[in-house]
Amino acid sequence: MKRHLFALVVAVTVGLVPLAHADTKKKNPSSVTGGSSSSTFKKARNAGQAGLAEASLIEVYQLIAKTQNREALEKAEKLVQQHPNFQLAQLVYGDLLAARTRAVRTMGDVPESMLKVAAPALEQLRDESQVRLKALRERPPAGAVPSEFLTLATRNKHAIAVDASRSRLYLFENRPEGMTLVADYYISVGKSGLEKNIEGDLRTPLGIYFITSNLDPRSLKDFYGSGALPINYPNVLDNKRGKTGSGIWLHGTPPGQFSRAPQATDGCVVLANPDLEQIIRTVAIGTTPVVISQRLNWVTPRHARSGGKQFEDALSAWQNAKASGNVDRVLGFYSPDFNSNGKSLSQWVPSLRGEMRNGQGRAIQLKDLSLLRWTDAADTMVVTFGEVAEGARTGPTKRQYWGRQGTQWKIFFEGVIG
Amino acid sequence: MGALFTFQESIGFMNHARSTICTTLRLLALAAACLTTAALADEYGDVNQLLRAGKLSEAMVKADSHLAAKPTDPQMRFLKGVIQRNSGKQSEAIATFTKLTEDYPELPEPYNNLAVLYAGQGQYDKARSALEMAIRTNPSYATAHENLGDVYARLASQAYNKALQLDNDNAAVPPKLALIREVFKPNLNNPKPLPTSAVVPAATTVAPAPPAAAQPQVAAPATKAVVVPAASSPAPANAASGDGAGIRSSDVEAAVQAWAKAWATKDMSAYLGAYGKEFVPAGKQSRSAWEDERRKRIVGKAKISVKLDDLTVTVNGARAVAKFKQNYQADALSISGRKTLELMKTGDQWLITKESTGN
Repeated sequence: MKRHLFALVVAVTVGLVPLAHADTKKKNPSSVTGGSSSSTFKKARNAGQAGLAEASLIEVYQLIAKTQNREALEKAEKLVQQHPNFQLAQLVYGDLLAARTRAVRTMGDVPESMLKVAAPALEQLRDESQVRLKALRERPPAGAVPSEFLTLATRNKHAIAVDASRSRLYLFENRPEGMTLVADYYISVGKSGLEKNIEGDLRTPLGIYFITSNLDPRSLKDFYGSGALPINYPNVLDNKRGKTGSGIWLHGTPPGQFSRAPQATDGCVVLANPDLEQIIRTVAIGTTPVVISQRLNWVTPRHARSGGKQFEDALSAWQNAKASGNVDRVLGFYSPDFNSNGKSLSQWVPSLRGEMRNGQGRAIQLKDLSLLRWTDAADTMVVTFGEVAEGARTGPTKRQYWGRQGTQWKIFFEGVIG
Repeated sequence: MGALFTFQESIGFMNHARSTICTTLRLLALAAACLTTAALADEYGDVNQLLRAGKLSEAMVKADSHLAAKPTDPQMRFLKGVIQRNSGKQSEAIATFTKLTEDYPELPEPYNNLAVLYAGQGQYDKARSALEMAIRTNPSYATAHENLGDVYARLASQAYNKALQLDNDNAAVPPKLALIREVFKPNLNNPKPLPTSAVVPAATTVAPAPPAAAQPQVAAPATKAVVVPAASSPAPANAASGDGAGIRSSDVEAAVQAWAKAWATKDMSAYLGAYGKEFVPAGKQSRSAWEDERRKRIVGKAKISVKLDDLTVTVNGARAVAKFKQNYQADALSISGRKTLELMKTGDQWLITKESTGN
């Protein structure tokens, strides 16, 4: 009787109906309903150590939902033995143990005495549970990509997208057949939420970033766990908007915590250590983009690409103007508020002139073109390419930020990044 | 952290615990006493009294001198474990009870006491395993169930503390020790020495040699003799195997299934009737004490389910052995484990002569 009650409570409050893709113990993937997104997910789950703890936790939930509390207890026990610092798993384990002696009325039905001193911690664990389940229930559509990813150069082997509303980081592999979701992980963001504006606001920035370095964990405090990958906050757009602050990293968890609450950081994006380690092994410093969004908009790759058609026309026009050798024509593509690492447009024009003089009107090629689009109040295109003049074998890697004004795209930043 | 033990502090629980404890310990005393003579029982009584009076070293001297002559005697070893525990020699007591569980795996009480000692040290995982063994040995062993409930509550508390990152778990002094004292006291009161005559085995299949105490549980048929006068148990033994050739294992299977059904349907006369006169209750209770206990355990349940899997039957003349996995569920309790029934053909019925768990 009491156990059934417990099962019911978990099933209702966390809304976990045994969903096909959350079932990591599948025997026959082809029989699973829910489309290929679920099999993508499973592939991701099976990819390595990372995410396995969560998969085990979900299995425990599913056993509870099926009122198989004994099996759930065994599984939970194994999980907490493996990850004693996985607080959410401990909470569920505690419930399953308690259910053997009394009725468990709600998830995390801790004794009154603990509730008095640790109500916020309990609330956070419940949030974490909800949000993990939500991310597993609401899977990205099969083959879809975040709308930010218009074009990714083949040399960009991976890309990362964070959906803060789901406390989830999605890892993509850029395969010949297209961007493929290979793994996704629970993450924590800023205590005060999103859209970082000023230093110390405890918010996580929103926008398009790149991983700038990989910090040696030995140089870090325990607090950062198994490593840290700084991103380039504030980026050009952030600077233009006057945003302040620095030191936004993807990093791990301290030894005492397997994962942190959904909103727990000073602005960083925090992953469980095994998950972060997987990311560190995967990403390329300087080139792997990290999109951080309030809520990702998933589109088909074709749709993403076609949305950028008008922009690509503008980019071609700029490319042609540059080949024409006519500086004034090229300058027509630049916005009056242009800023290149502190230089205003008029301060920057001489270097453009010099560059075009050297080009001698030769055609230029844009190699390894990546187009990432960020749309909020404004519409911004983050463009990366190798600018190679005709007859040359290499050229500088450049990054431009274009802003849309009405139907016109204008460059408000240009710089050489490599 | 005191919250976890509220149910233990409550009057209702204590009363309940006390009564079940008395029952359990009386059973053990009986069991051990059955193996011995009145003279030996007096020795237990002496040790018990010294123990009660707090004369621990004297009790130990007496226990040791007894064990020097009869080193395997489970009852005295059990008492020695109690003395060790009361003397604060936790690890020695643990060693004593551990050895007892190895030598007499069918006795639930040493497992239980082992669990209580582990719990006293805060080793709740070990305590849990020991109690689960106690219950596997005797599914209706109420004390172990109570203790297991307490251990589950402690484990839950530990898990919750880790979940909420509270540090105070280590600070909690295991208050279980007080309860252990209560556990042991009643036992020490009345070892119930038995009349010598009752100990003489009736007709048995295994003839217990005079140093019965040295022989493990199999020597127990004497227990039955305590209750059922020798005269009234003709014990057909091998004589009954006249129709051996025609025996079909399906008859045995049917008998076993009927037994399970009687249990599940709480049909006590059919259930108890499934046991032959030769039946020896596990834990060496008397037959009547065992029947009383079974009645209490079974009739008291709202709903019982007994399902048998992997039933295999070996028939040898008028005797048969049925092995299976028993899935037992009663109210909130659910236990599965291997069970072995030994049966004997009596007239046209197959009756249970021995019931054991494990293997």
